[in-house]
Amino acid sequence: MKFWAIRVGSILLAVLVSYGIGMVAQGSSGTVSRLIALAGLYVTLAVSLNLINGITGQFSIGHAAFYQVGSYTAAFLASQLLARGTINNLGTPIPWVLAAVGIAIVTSGIAGFLIGLPSLRLRGDYLAIVTLGFGEILRIIIQNTPQLGGSYGINSPKAFVVPYVWMLAFLCIGACRNLLQTAHGLSFLSVREDEVASGAMGVNVTRVKVAAFVLGSAFAGAAGALLTFNEGFINVNSFTMDVSFIILTMVVLGGTGSITGSIIAALALFTLPEFLRDAPPMPLNAVLGTLAGVALLVGTIRLALDQKKLGRDFLTPKTYMGFGIAAVGGVIVSILANFLPALANRTIPSAELRMVIFSAVLVIMMLLRPQGIFGHREFGLGSIFKRAQA
Amino acid sequence: MKNLLGVWLTLAASAAFLTGCNPSTDTPTSKGSSSSDTPNTSAKRPNPPKDGPAFGETIKIGLVASLNGELKPWGDDSKLGAELAADEINKAGGINGKKIELLVEDSNSKPEQGKTATDRLISKGVVGIVGEVASGITAQIADSAFQAGVPVVAIGATRTDLTDIGSNIFRVCYTDDFQGPVMAKFGFEELGLRRVAVLTDKRQPYSEGLSKSYIETFKKLGGTIISEEFYNSGDQQFNAQLTNIKGQNPDGLFLSGYFTEVGLIARQARDVGLKVKLLGGDGWDSQELVSGGGEGILGGYFCNHYNDNEDRQEVKDFLTKWKAKYNGKLPGTTMGALGYDSVALVADAVKRAASPDAKGLMAAIDSTENFLGVSGTITLKGHAGNPPKRALVVEVTSSGVVFRKAYEHFE
Amino acid sequence: MIDPLSLTAGLDATALPQQLLNGLMFGAIYALVALGYTMVYGVLKLINFAHGEVFMIGAYTALFVSWQMGYFQGASGLTRATNPGILILMLITAMVVCGFLGVLIERFAYRPMRKQPRIASLITAIGVSMLLQYGGALVLPVSPPRSILEQVNPYDGNLSIPLKPRDGELNAAFAKAKEAEAAAKATLEQRIKQEGVSSEFDLSDEGKQIRSASQSAAQATRDAENKYLASGMSLNIPYGQGIMFLATLALMGLLTYLVMFTKTGRQMRAVAHDFDSASLMGINVDKIVTITFIIGSSLAGAGAMMCATFLGTQLTSFVGVPWGVKAFVAAVLGGIGNIPGAVLGGLLIGVAETMVVWAGGSQYKDAIAFVILILVLLVKPGGLLGSAKVEKV
Repeated sequence: MKFWAIRVGSILLAVLVSYGIGMVAQGSSGTVSRLIALAGLYVTLAVSLNLINGITGQFSIGHAAFYQVGSYTAAFLASQLLARGTINNLGTPIPWVLAAVGIAIVTSGIAGFLIGLPSLRLRGDYLAIVTLGFGEILRIIIQNTPQLGGSYGINSPKAFVVPYVWMLAFLCIGACRNLLQTAHGLSFLSVREDEVASGAMGVNVTRVKVAAFVLGSAFAGAAGALLTFNEGFINVNSFTMDVSFIILTMVVLGGTGSITGSIIAALALFTLPEFLRDAPPMPLNAVLGTLAGVALLVGTIRLALDQKKLGRDFLTPKTYMGFGIAAVGGVIVSILANFLPALANRTIPSAELRMVIFSAVLVIMMLLRPQGIFGHREFGLGSIFKRAQA
Repeated sequence: MKNLLGVWLTLAASAAFLTGCNPSTDTPTSKGSSSSDTPNTSAKRPNPPKDGPAFGETIKIGLVASLNGELKPWGDDSKLGAELAADEINKAGGINGKKIELLVEDSNSKPEQGKTATDRLISKGVVGIVGEVASGITAQIADSAFQAGVPVVAIGATRTDLTDIGSNIFRVCYTDDFQGPVMAKFGFEELGLRRVAVLTDKRQPYSEGLSKSYIETFKKLGGTIISEEFYNSGDQQFNAQLTNIKGQNPDGLFLSGYFTEVGLIARQARDVGLKVKLLGGDGWDSQELVSGGGEGILGGYFCNHYNDNEDRQEVKDFLTKWKAKYNGKLPGTTMGALGYDSVALVADAVKRAASPDAKGLMAAIDSTENFLGVSGTITLKGHAGNPPKRALVVEVTSSGVVFRKAYEHFE
Repeated sequence: MIDPLSLTAGLDATALPQQLLNGLMFGAIYALVALGYTMVYGVLKLINFAHGEVFMIGAYTALFVSWQMGYFQGASGLTRATNPGILILMLITAMVVCGFLGVLIERFAYRPMRKQPRIASLITAIGVSMLLQYGGALVLPVSPPRSILEQVNPYDGNLSIPLKPRDGELNAAFAKAKEAEAAAKATLEQRIKQEGVSSEFDLSDEGKQIRSASQSAAQATRDAENKYLASGMSLNIPYGQGIMFLATLALMGLLTYLVMFTKTGRQMRAVAHDFDSASLMGINVDKIVTITFIIGSSLAGAGAMMCATFLGTQLTSFVGVPWGVKAFVAAVLGGIGNIPGAVLGGLLIGVAETMVVWAGGSQYKDAIAFVILILVLLVKPGGLLGSAKVEKV
């Protein structure tokens, strides 16, 4: 009884929250509304990749390919079967959207199956390059297929999908969470920890791996289909390698295997470049100086952390000296930079700076917390209660 | 097994559902991407669903530019050009006492981010948007701006069907339907070319569109396209394609891509011993064309919007102003001039706007007649957003780019 | 999906030897860059995603050296260099700078991560790569993209290796056509002077007839030349690309010697075989890793300098990305961590891409590397020369 109450209750809650988010999006400006939708999509992407990479321990670095399969499936269906007359309004009926999402799930699931198959034989980096290659091959096929819009892209009708985007995200989170609570989930984890041993213990390694790929890519495909209806236009450039890398980064930064980590990292990494759009323009030498200072600072903290691991104090005179060197070094670099004629007196607009800051933050985060924000752990209300009880 | 059956059933059912519910297609020509085949001047352009904002204390104009990513060289120039125009207008006291405020957003060379950029500009209350240099991104800008009723002036997006999106989209450049035929005519009539090979950049919609219109016209004129080979932006070795082309013994080679690859192709064509005339579109235009292409590019012809050595006052003034503002440098690509023209054209329309809001501005842009731009005279009135423009054919020589022949707009 | 037009253009059997050579020459550069990936992977089991950006920095270094030596656009009285001194200087500087950069990246980004899960170092590598791309766009001249002037290369022209002698009579006909062309051209130029116009495009209608006579004469020359060339067969190697090929082979030879026949090389192989045991055997592992990065990165620098100089690459801060990806594929194809494998993989991909173009599928050229890779990995999961073993990520 309690079991069902919790189930139904959480489903209802997820639906309500999704509609709430949808209402917020509808009430806010176009920018915010789109960002809310894209953030939801990235959460789905990160959590679904986490299923493949973090939970099952496979090494996929081409997740954008499945996103692309779903997106193009929906766009192709919509542009072929629905009138394009609706392009400029949000008039696509939701049942059609959901049907297209369903078909996108099937096609991307099939793609995931095809890519999952070699994973039976391939390990680690070899599998990684196959997933990456799949995306590249897909791009070239699409580029050469006029029915899919070629290099220009493909127009499709639009729909207001923000609630569905978030429902998908919650569904994905729920599915992954529940999976981990079951014996099936344990077999996924065991494949990650030791493939040979789990095989010996009777886990069907083949099935687990392929299942992870199919599930993960199906979720990505659904996200892709919703992206199509949200944007009304897609193009191969929206699914390049760097998109895959960003999704992968979200997973690792959050902590491989941690669902909550993936969610938080996805939200953080998605919003960071958007916030940086508002950063004021800065003088180039100050930027370089700050970068150098931060690099030295990170080095110091890193060394201090290593010391702490060995049981010594975190804050020693040496650490303070490191902080000092970092500050002085930063100032020196910024002064020196102004002596170089190519670098002197240049101001960098925030638009050009934001990707630099983004990548710098990425490197720094990895250096300071290589296991990711949450490591393998989860973070949720439940764990807080448990801790309070204990 | 059972599950699989279920999946197929769902698939079949949903497919039937989709086809069954297919509504009567009221705009058959604009379905998918097929609309690029039909000329757009006759198409009725839909009007935006709502009216845009009114002018504020300042005239806020947004610019979307690729300040990061692979289109950065063009994006940077479009920004410099736009800023030059805005500065100049403000220094002269603004328009009717109001200053122009140019808000710049980055599209990171990606359509999706171009849309975010546009949405942000709209939420900041811009009354007009200028940009982009690439058609794929401009389509996204136009779509967002359409919802908000804000006019868009595209800087260098030459894809023909782009202006079909709505009555809010205009451009200051010519379309692929014009410069391709110009080069086909020039090659056929003036250079006596009969057998031409085409090398297309498969990754750039621009290049594909240009090659298509070139091939169509050249065939119509009676020439033969002996082969079309492809590459992707970022490729650096073209020996294989060029060896194929050389085996076909062409009279000329049409390179529809951007100068970043055209330079390499020219050098390597010379290396493999392919001594034919090279032809191309406005994507060639760059200060770095000769340093990239070396001796191989000399004697090549391309189609351009304007020419640095042209004897028109607008061009001379523009270059003087550019040099004064940017440390004596010349614009790196043609997008500098087009970016300048876009902002100047919007500013000119602001002056003539019947009502001080986006709707009035849109109508004023649409009624632009004989606007003297750096890239030639621009008339938008009655042309559904696509100004009939003059195209110049120029020759690449060791002392720079030399004007050879001008073509007035033709159908 | 393949356009029938391009199908008929391909499959020209006489061009096959030339195309194979083109493929080998290009594959050699892939191989050179792939070596850097594979060596780093060998010792650290890390995919060095920043390797493509090292390539980019190498190309820019070469560009700056050429500028310093006076070869920049707009320099007055620019003529072709007379000796390869500048080329050698560019090569050495690019190699040194890249080697240094490689060491820096290793020391500050990868070494702190060495005891961490491999995927964490991989993300760091991606981060460093993005930092160099976007940071490079801030400080390097990227818009418009620059390229190294071809005048720094003193070796202009082609080396022609005859395979089948050509018809002498056709040669005579070609010479005759050339004479006729020159005569027609002279007539045209005279006419231009006579009419007092600035270029051939302003001629009167009568003048235009003279022009078209000149144009058909030029056409006849081309046809005669083509007929003459088609009567025999020869391999055509542009000097620049030939030098690039030889230098690449020489660098690979040097590397083989270094790895196989020196003490450092033996240590390197020991570290690659078993990192921990090697360190227990008294090998200074840090030193070996540093040396590996120096060698791998400077090879990328050499490749970058040669591509930028002899192919004319236009430089932006993103120029390393396609190279990084292709070289990575080459390294995996050969069996990552395996030095001869990287060379084999690079050459194979170069030849395969050229063959696809030769067969008329140039639009699919970029996909073929991945298709081959997937096919090979399905049969040999460890790559062509590698061995497959179960490992954890």
